[in-house]
Amino acid sequence: MQTNLTINGTPQRLELDPRTTLLDALRHHLGLTGSKKGCDHGQCGACTVMVNGRRINACLTLACMHDGDEVTTIEGIGQPDNLSPLQQAFVSEDGFQCGYCTPGQICSATAMLEEVRNGWPSHVTDDLDGGADLTTEEISERMSGNLCRCSAYPNIVEAIRKAAGENA
Amino acid sequence: MLHRPQTLDAALALLSAGDAVILAGGTDIYPALRDRPPPAEMVDLSGITGLRGIGREGDSWRIGAATTWTEILHADLPPLFDGLKLAAREVGSVQIQNAGTVAGNICNASPAADGVPAFLALEAQIEVQGPGGTRCMAVEDFIRGPRMTRLDRSELVTAIYVPDSPGQGAFLKLGARKYLVISIAMVGAVVLAEGDRIAKARVAVGSCSPVACRLRDLETALAGISARDIAKAVSAAPLPELVPIGDVRATSHYRSDAARTLITRTLLQAMEARNVA
Amino acid sequence: MSVSKPLPHDSGHLHVQGTARYVDDIPSPQGTLHLAFGLSQIAHGRIAEIDLQPVRDAPGVVAVLEAGDLPHSNDVSPSVHDEPLLSGHSVHYVGQPVFLVVATSHLAARKAARMARIDYQPRDAILTIEEALDADARFEEGPRIWEKGDAEEAIDTAPHHVEGRIEMGGQEHFYLEGQAAMAWPQEGGDMLVMSSTQHPTEIQHKVAEAIGRPMHAVRVETRRMGGGFGGKESQGNALAVSCAVAARLTGKPCKMRYDRDDDMIITGKRHDFRIDYRAGFDSDGLLTGVDFIHYTRCGWAQDLSLPVADRAMLHSDNAYHLPAARIESHRLRTNTQSATAFRGFGGPQGMVGIERVMDHVAHELGLDPVLVRQRNFYAPASVLAQPASDVPKDNSPENNAEPPEAGVDLTSRGAVAASSQDAAVPNAGGAQTTPYGQPVEDFILHEMTESLMQSSDYAARRAKAAEWNAQNPILKRGIAMTPVKFGISFTLTHLNQAGALVHVYQDGSVHLNHGGTEMGQGLFLKVAQVAAARFGLPLEAVKITATDTAKVPNTSATAASSGSDLNGMAVKTACDEIAGRIAAHLAKLHQLPADAVTFAEGRVHVGEESYTFEEAAKLAYEARISLSATGFYKTPKVQWDRIKGQGRPFFYFAYGAAVSEVVIDTLTGEYRILRADILHDCGASLNPAIDIGQIEGGYVQGAGWLTTEELVWDDDGRLRTHAPSTYKIPAIGDVPEVFNVALWDGANREDTIYRSKAVGEPPFMLGISVLMALSDAVAACGTGYPALDAPATPERVLAAVQRVRDGV
Repeated sequence: MQTNLTINGTPQRLELDPRTTLLDALRHHLGLTGSKKGCDHGQCGACTVMVNGRRINACLTLACMHDGDEVTTIEGIGQPDNLSPLQQAFVSEDGFQCGYCTPGQICSATAMLEEVRNGWPSHVTDDLDGGADLTTEEISERMSGNLCRCSAYPNIVEAIRKAAGENA
Repeated sequence: MLHRPQTLDAALALLSAGDAVILAGGTDIYPALRDRPPPAEMVDLSGITGLRGIGREGDSWRIGAATTWTEILHADLPPLFDGLKLAAREVGSVQIQNAGTVAGNICNASPAADGVPAFLALEAQIEVQGPGGTRCMAVEDFIRGPRMTRLDRSELVTAIYVPDSPGQGAFLKLGARKYLVISIAMVGAVVLAEGDRIAKARVAVGSCSPVACRLRDLETALAGISARDIAKAVSAAPLPELVPIGDVRATSHYRSDAARTLITRTLLQAMEARNVA
Repeated sequence: MSVSKPLPHDSGHLHVQGTARYVDDIPSPQGTLHLAFGLSQIAHGRIAEIDLQPVRDAPGVVAVLEAGDLPHSNDVSPSVHDEPLLSGHSVHYVGQPVFLVVATSHLAARKAARMARIDYQPRDAILTIEEALDADARFEEGPRIWEKGDAEEAIDTAPHHVEGRIEMGGQEHFYLEGQAAMAWPQEGGDMLVMSSTQHPTEIQHKVAEAIGRPMHAVRVETRRMGGGFGGKESQGNALAVSCAVAARLTGKPCKMRYDRDDDMIITGKRHDFRIDYRAGFDSDGLLTGVDFIHYTRCGWAQDLSLPVADRAMLHSDNAYHLPAARIESHRLRTNTQSATAFRGFGGPQGMVGIERVMDHVAHELGLDPVLVRQRNFYAPASVLAQPASDVPKDNSPENNAEPPEAGVDLTSRGAVAASSQDAAVPNAGGAQTTPYGQPVEDFILHEMTESLMQSSDYAARRAKAAEWNAQNPILKRGIAMTPVKFGISFTLTHLNQAGALVHVYQDGSVHLNHGGTEMGQGLFLKVAQVAAARFGLPLEAVKITATDTAKVPNTSATAASSGSDLNGMAVKTACDEIAGRIAAHLAKLHQLPADAVTFAEGRVHVGEESYTFEEAAKLAYEARISLSATGFYKTPKVQWDRIKGQGRPFFYFAYGAAVSEVVIDTLTGEYRILRADILHDCGASLNPAIDIGQIEGGYVQGAGWLTTEELVWDDDGRLRTHAPSTYKIPAIGDVPEVFNVALWDGANREDTIYRSKAVGEPPFMLGISVLMALSDAVAACGTGYPALDAPATPERVLAAVQRVRDGV
């Protein structure tokens, strides 16, 4: 069926089997291979994209459910000569080893920093109504949906902290 | 075919036409797409605005069926809902909380669904609409077995009602890792306290029986006891409702052992939160 | 100089934009077909009847292949040709590929593969260690036994004894990028293969066999992997061979990747081990003798199990001098996935054995385990003279290796049996020797652990933990230090070789290629740093290129932590060859000796004159001087007889030590790592940033193995933990709250590339300190010895607490 998506600012009209996941639509129909297949179960976060500004697992959602939605993938965050602060921080802090989880980490962290700016609460925030400082524990909890088998976690936290500081 | 009705009536019309799979957040459909015969018809509820949102209706709170866990977390709700909010944070990761819905969690009826013990402790009612009209039933009655509900194929859940009360909600989960775990055991509770004593408590446990359940004998035993006697009361209670299975996550012995500790701690969490507030 | 600098990862800019390509990201040519396996549903038996018509009739299916349909060799084993790509009538584990579906899409192939109707005649499956021992189901004729002195006598006459058993589970690699391959038919029946593999040469070899062509007809390219950890040393063979066979048959490019559940069900994992131990010691905790019996489930096929089990034996001493030792190793054949390489390659399992002994001895005597460990350390290197164990030059392995069996993949670690050779017992020169006769000449753990004790504030924190435990009935703390001494080299001696290919173009840019593969460990960057340093160029002048069997042949797997040691040296040789030619030419032009020419900061200096590197390259080109060279390296000094258990299997040892502190909840068994302090030896580090990343990642992965990562098979031999929802790898919140990692400041005593040391595997074993810290915390609950098995899940911790309370 026909589905209209705005991908990284560009309107796209796709003719899809309704059972196509958003991840397959991105990777196979649009050639946007930055979003990765890690686990097929919504558990590893390698496929994280933003839909209308909120991060979701692209492997767990159908493309046709997002008719009319705005989707931002790793390809839509920054340009080769103009990386986003998070992208720059991941480079300078070595926030990866094999790099396979990196696009998902960056999409997830981009949305997460926006959530923090909006004062959304998380698990470790004592105050259920938000207003947390971005401590290591806070970053860890908010990024718990993104696994890194190389365990580059200390550098990932450092990169996010750095980017958050620059944005603040 | 995937249908995206914009109104409830349109959705019900589609459902009454035949065997369609309902999609709310869609986070549980994926396994079916890969290995099972593909669903011919899918009805996506995400376009129906009336199914989302939280508000007061009379003496109750109404939570739209397609409300996401993230929306629960951000809603301005009284301490009664603290347990539900804590449960919301345990539903997978933020990515899943942003897509997954409250009714989806209940309708999947997994013994390990995080939301169910919290809703049980809230004495939530499920509103179901179908061609025959609207009916309401308690969560306990709605879920009739592991992965089985009383929802007819032509019906859908439209809302969850939670009667307002002055109680304090609490929730705890046990797992082999801090985040993103499917539960070995979890406990939802609502406590109404008088001074240092429990006036009334509602306690529900998940993952320790085929369907998450209320512990009514324990609730009776808890009435009138002080915070410091909670541990004793819980360890003395027979808890016949808990019949945990052994599986890849834990043996039954460990589950029942840990469940008691978890129940005590959840009740104490509620008592303490009340003191803080 | 570009070496020793903490330069960021070379692919970093690509990673953060999602433009770094992994195999499944390579744009597929039009008409590419997709593959999936149909899998055995039983653990052992015969296929009585198989009906694949429903599979053939399924939408999108192009072809379905069974064993009999394969045109040439039906084998994907890295060792003894015991692993058919497709099973034929006899099946040996749940998940064994039975048939291959070729379809127009990945999903179509996967769905069709589940539609076969197969009638099995089940046979008794051997799943446990007991069942395998009862049936005498094993690899090799009997257990391997290595002995040093008379261990039994030494134990029996010692004043104190402990004995016990530790079980440790396996580990799923869970590389975030699943196995993947693509084959693209070329003219004249040649085949181009893209594979996510640590071992392109083996892929080339197995594909060549499978399509009945010489190796020269197959080219394998690997740009990068999304994690390997040993799981892509041999486990990629099946996919690459399937793609090549299907591509040959259909004439179309073919692609195959495993979904996560298939990946976990089909591929091998870390070997699980049971170790029975008996030790004798004096009242200071000094060991007099140790007896170990290793039992390991190798799964249904041999794969790399022999060298894995060997390496477990080789690390039974870890950092401790064992005056007498007996090590017996049973390599058991079971109807489960064929266990394979995983970071440490058996070393971690062997090491956990002796660390358990140390912990048990200290508990028995009521001593601080750190004291017991330090007392048993090998003698320090500082008391020794220069290396004493050099062997005569003529004794190099190629002179006396036996001729290989036909078809054996010589470049695989599984080729082990074909190359056993006499190895002279090295001259110890006064150094203490390991149980296998290698002198330990470079031992630096005395100094390292002393330094770590200070920097981690161990003594004060241990006292504080004891104080805390006296006051807190529910939460108990534990703290432990464990050391690592890890042997560096392939134990199959002839694999310790590497090649490189370097071109300098007329604009002064450099093209770099070598036999190593990149899986996130930073090998490509380290090697490029070497090349840049040799030419005195900035790193940007060096182009890092994909591993390619057409550029550098006959490579060993990127494994055994050897990547930078071997390939760094080979690249250095190639660069020095070209630099030497340029230097000779410029020296001649200026009538100066060649050593008057130096390469630094992008320029070539000749006496008082200087050229840009580009100018120098142009001059050399115009003088018709070759600006391309190969480089080759073989590790010196190593020789090994794995049957006798004697020789010098390792060029050197890499060292490290970790102090971990944990807190456990004695009512639920849940725990957290509060703090970890690590001091690790990378020699003179080639890149401190990369090395620290390897250390942090290794520690966390090692801790994961011993704590949350639990594999569960049911009584029918089905792996029940085949998804991330049930198999728990460390998440971001599982990293210690305080995590201090430092590099030991010292150069490798042996002549390695810039005196650095290998770093891939050794830090994995620092995670053992977490298991021992948990044991310490549990011990605080009572008088009994915790005897904690691994993985120490909350459930196991709780059970141990209850045992210790009961004083068992």
